[in-house]
Parts: sequence; C-alpha cells; structure tokens
Amino acid sequence: MKALTANRLSDGEVVFWKAGTWVERFAEAELFSVDEPAILAEGQAKSQPTVVVDAYLIDLIESEGLWAPVSYRERIRALGPTNHMHHGKQAEGGDAILALQHAHGAARSSGRVNLIKRK
Amino acid sequence: MYQYDSLDRDILADRSAEFRDQVARRLSGEITEEHFKPVRLMNGLYLQLHAYMLRVAIPYGSMNAKQLHKLADIGRRYDKGYGHFTTRTNLQFHWIKLADTPDILDELASIDMHAIQTSGNCIRNVTADPYAGATADEIDDPRVWSEAIRQWSSLHPEFSFLPRKFKIAITASAKDRTVAKAHDIGLMVRRARDGTLGFEVIVGGGMGRTPFIGPTIREFLPAHRLFSYLEAILRVYNRHGRRDNIYKARIKILVSALGREAFAREVEEEWSKVGEAGDLPDTEIARIRGAFSRKAFETLPAQSEVYDAAVSADPGFARFARNNLKPHKRQGYTIVEISLKGIGETPGDATSDQMDVVADLAERFGQDDVRVTHEQNLVLPHVKLDDAPEVYRALAAAGLGTPNINLISDIIACPGLDYCALANARAIIVAQDIARRFADQDRAEQVGELKIKISGCINACGHHHVGHIGILGVDKKGEEFYQLTLGGSGAEDAAIGKILGPALPLDRVTDAIDTLVDVYLRERQGDERFLDTYRRTGDAPFKEAVYAETH
Repeated sequence: MKALTANRLSDGEVVFWKAGTWVERFAEAELFSVDEPAILAEGQAKSQPTVVVDAYLIDLIESEGLWAPVSYRERIRALGPTNHMHHGKQAEGGDAILALQHAHGAARSSGRVNLIKRK
Repeated sequence: MYQYDSLDRDILADRSAEFRDQVARRLSGEITEEHFKPVRLMNGLYLQLHAYMLRVAIPYGSMNAKQLHKLADIGRRYDKGYGHFTTRTNLQFHWIKLADTPDILDELASIDMHAIQTSGNCIRNVTADPYAGATADEIDDPRVWSEAIRQWSSLHPEFSFLPRKFKIAITASAKDRTVAKAHDIGLMVRRARDGTLGFEVIVGGGMGRTPFIGPTIREFLPAHRLFSYLEAILRVYNRHGRRDNIYKARIKILVSALGREAFAREVEEEWSKVGEAGDLPDTEIARIRGAFSRKAFETLPAQSEVYDAAVSADPGFARFARNNLKPHKRQGYTIVEISLKGIGETPGDATSDQMDVVADLAERFGQDDVRVTHEQNLVLPHVKLDDAPEVYRALAAAGLGTPNINLISDIIACPGLDYCALANARAIIVAQDIARRFADQDRAEQVGELKIKISGCINACGHHHVGHIGILGVDKKGEEFYQLTLGGSGAEDAAIGKILGPALPLDRVTDAIDTLVDVYLRERQGDERFLDTYRRTGDAPFKEAVYAETH
C-alpha cells in the first residue's frame, strides 16, 4: 500500500494526495494498493509546482487496523515533532493519530519510494 | 555593540525587497523550485519536515534587548511562540510560512538583523567567546575582530560560492568557549613578547562525517595582517578545494590531503601576492573597536552584601550562583549564564515570553547586552553582584533558573528527526530523557563537568564528536540507533571522541549514560572530570560496563 505526500508551497505544511487535491490529514489520504494509479498521481502532482514542493510516494504498513507510513520519518511528518506533542497534526488526537503513534517497524530507512532513482 | 550605518540598512532594505519579489514570482509560478531553492537558502530559508525554517543570524552571538524583543515578537506572530538557539549561536524559527517570510525579513531589518549567509557555500556567522568583554583572562575583545570579519565577509563577491560552507571562530582567552579547533579557521588571539597583538591561525578543523582537530598553520600572525591572510587562505581553498564531491569539499579535506606544511606554504605564497593591500586600515579597526568600548562600569567593592545574604538565605540561588555565575573582569560584577536546558525541555528552545524576560533583564541589569553560546544557552555578560539575586528570581519565575551550566543535563542537541530533513534519528528526546534521569541536582553536581552532545545525523550539528560523551543517531533498517563516543572535547584541550562500541537502541541509551557515569564515579581520582578519568583509564572499563549485558 502506498500514499502520495508533499509539502505545500505556500506554508510548507505536510499534505497528502486525495483524488487530485491535497489534504492535511494522513487519515484522509488516498491509498494506492497497486502501483499504476500511484505513479499516475505522482506525475499529476509534479505538474502542480505552484501548489506543492517535492511530491513523492511512501510505503505504508498496517497498524491497529489502519494504515501508517512504514518509516519513522514519515510518521513524524504525518504527526508532528515528538518533543512538542501539542504542535503539528498530532494535537488533534483521535484513533487515526493513535494508530500512527503506535505504528512501529520499518522495512526501509526512508519509506520513500524510488529514492535512488529520483536522484 | 556595533551599530549599523545607512549603507548597511540600504543593503538590507534592497535585499528584502528583492526577496519579496522572488517569493511572489515563485508563488505565481514564474520561477521554478529549482531556481528558487538556492535563492531562498541564501536568505536562510529551508524547507524542513513540517514547515519552512528560517535561520536568523545573530552576529558572533551578540545582540541587544531591542533585537531579542523583536525575535520574541516574530516567534509569537509568525511561529508558535518560540525559537530555537543553535550551536552556531543563531536562532531558528521552525514553523514559518513562505508567504510570510518577506514580512519577517523586513521585521528583522528594522532591528539591523537578517538571515543572509546562514546557508550556502559562503562564510557563515563567526563564533566568538560569549564572555567577550566580560572575562578577565582575555587578551583582546574578540568581537572587534568578529565584527570586522562580518563586514569583510558579508556579500563578499569572491567568497560567495566556495566549494562548501565556511566557519570561523575567534577566542581571546586561555579557556576556549568557541570550539575554535573544530572550525574551518580557528583564530586564537595571542600577544607576542614585544606586546604585539596577533593570532594563532588554525585551519582545517571540523566535524561532520570526517572530523578533524585543525592544525596550526601559523603560530603568530600580526593582527593588522589578518585580512590579507584570511584572503590568502580562502583563495587557496577556492582554487584547490574539491567541488566534485560534496563529502570532500570542506577545507579540512584539502588541508588533510596536502598536509599542514604544504597547505601553509601555499597560503604563504598566496599571501605574498595579496600583500598589505588586502588588509584593513588600522583606522577602520579603531572605528569598530570604538563601538565595543562604551560600557560604563561602576567602581564597586569586590564583596556584595546583597549577594552574600541571598547565598546564605536561598539555597536555590546558592546553587545557581555555584553553577551559572562566572567571574567578571570588574569587581562587583558577574557573568550570568542562562540555561536553556530546563529538565525535560528542548535544548536551545526559548519561548517568546522567556526571550522577553531575558531582554528586560538585559535592559534593567545587564547593560543592554545578551549573548548566545554555542552550547545553546544565553548569557548576560555584565550584571552587578548586587543585582544577581533579583535576576535569578526573575529567571526562575520564567522557567529559566535551571542551575546546570556545564553539568550532565546541560546537553547540546540538534533538532534531529523531529524537524530536520537531513536527520536519521531524533536527538531532542534523547537529551530530555538523560536530563530527567539526572534531574537530581545534588547528583549532577557530584558528577561535575560532563558535556554530552547529541547529533541526529553524521553532519554533527549537535557536535557529538567533541562531547565528553557524544551520541550520534543512526538509522539501522528504519529504526533509531545511537552510537556512543567518549573522550571528545570542544575546549582548549580539543579532541575527537572515540566510538565505544556497537550502536544502541533508543531505549538503552539513558541506561548506558547512567552506567558510564557510575564507572566514572568508581574510577575517579581526586578532582578529575569525567574527561580526565577517561583519558587516564582509556575506554576499557567504560566499554566493559556498557556492553556487559551483551557479552
């Protein structure tokens, strides 16, 4: 499973792709179970340079029945900094946030798909 | 402190207007991210994990109350009510919006500040002794030379696109509080037997993935020849520094590859070509010096009854005085170190309210002078002993009275993976956990001076290489692990720490630090610091204890 993420150009906010638009909450992100539509979405995202910066696909794992980014880095992006728990999206709380906070394990260091090819 | 003139202000106004236009063109799509990124970086604006980060230059870590009040105001209006002081004595705002940045740069310009040269392959903010002008053992005021270098290096056309970034430190005391030997250039003020002022010049120190303690390439450089010599060093670096490999582009690699003698020869040869035309006139140095010699110290008795009474009556103040007050060159005065390492807090973070408190105290009691240390603390360099108890009470009321300067909980930590796009692991929570473990101040004082420095990646912004105990976050198959190094020092006895053994998982780091401290207390002889004991015993007893469970 994959999701598409980026930072919003105007304020740097972490955003996720949802059917052609961008949402701030990971819980609302569009999930891609197969590669082809994910790669298509990534291409569309890259054609929005005045909306987002550096769009890329990330790998997901299952956590407490929900999906979470596989890498710690991406979970911190989706939640906020762990030293200020009232900063970032984690401040909202709720089950989706808890699932992200409880997720663990990672198959790759960045969780970012095609990182090497991209460079 | 140095005051901007109309030329300085015009440059900042032009630069700010230029960036406003560039941001507008980026937002409208007229220029691409590829074109815009180097431009925003040249104005100190990074894109980090959660938002943009703006790194504001605090020249040689020195500012006045008005400037600190403005930084507090910016934190409140454009960030989340706080800022983060860094190991380069700058201030970072971590939650900045691109669209707000031109307004913020205008706000900074209004107090003679900016974010220029806080990124990019140029000469960065100079590090100077935070006790400059206040400590008794300095030969000269390093801020005079720091300011001259700031003016010389700002927007210097020849040195704006070096092979890699370039950092200079200046210290004028026997006690080095700048990590001079781990800078691209470390300048140590010396006085020759005939009284001539000069510098010992150290080149090619640094941290990062290839740490070096820099060698001395010239034992004594007459002070009035400083700028031609700096120009010669930079020219040799610009000509021979590697631009093909970012990991080998710092001057330390060049000095190491050529060897100290050969590099020094190249510099001397270039220096002879530059000649005295490359030096600043003495009148210009005198003009700058004038801006730093206006302190109006009173003639006071060495003893202060108010201070002595407070030490007797208030154990909290007595502890603060033991650890955070340092000797001043004038009798009746003291240097106040303000710890930004409250137990369980983020090292280097100060809320806007706290910044306002420090600025108010600087105005009322501190001759309008505030310093930032590379260890992520603040300093009021000129406080009367009579006023110290009141300053302490105001600091303590604002959560700034932590009496732990140079103790185990006075930890340097970079922002790490909680903020930084380059990091592999978190650094802040490691520092917080260790500080909580050693929250008992009696125990912390019993342990004595112990400098723990934590970096979230090999770029070493947290100075782990020169920590008595260094902690480096690494990524092991997606999990955070931490490599311990022992025996480093960023002081006059500078040394690079040695790796103790295999990296440890996050949940074992604080226990390992506890174990290291236990071994030290067991092995300690006399007044030895942790570092002294380690140097005498070597790493064997420490290694054995930390890795006992795995054997």
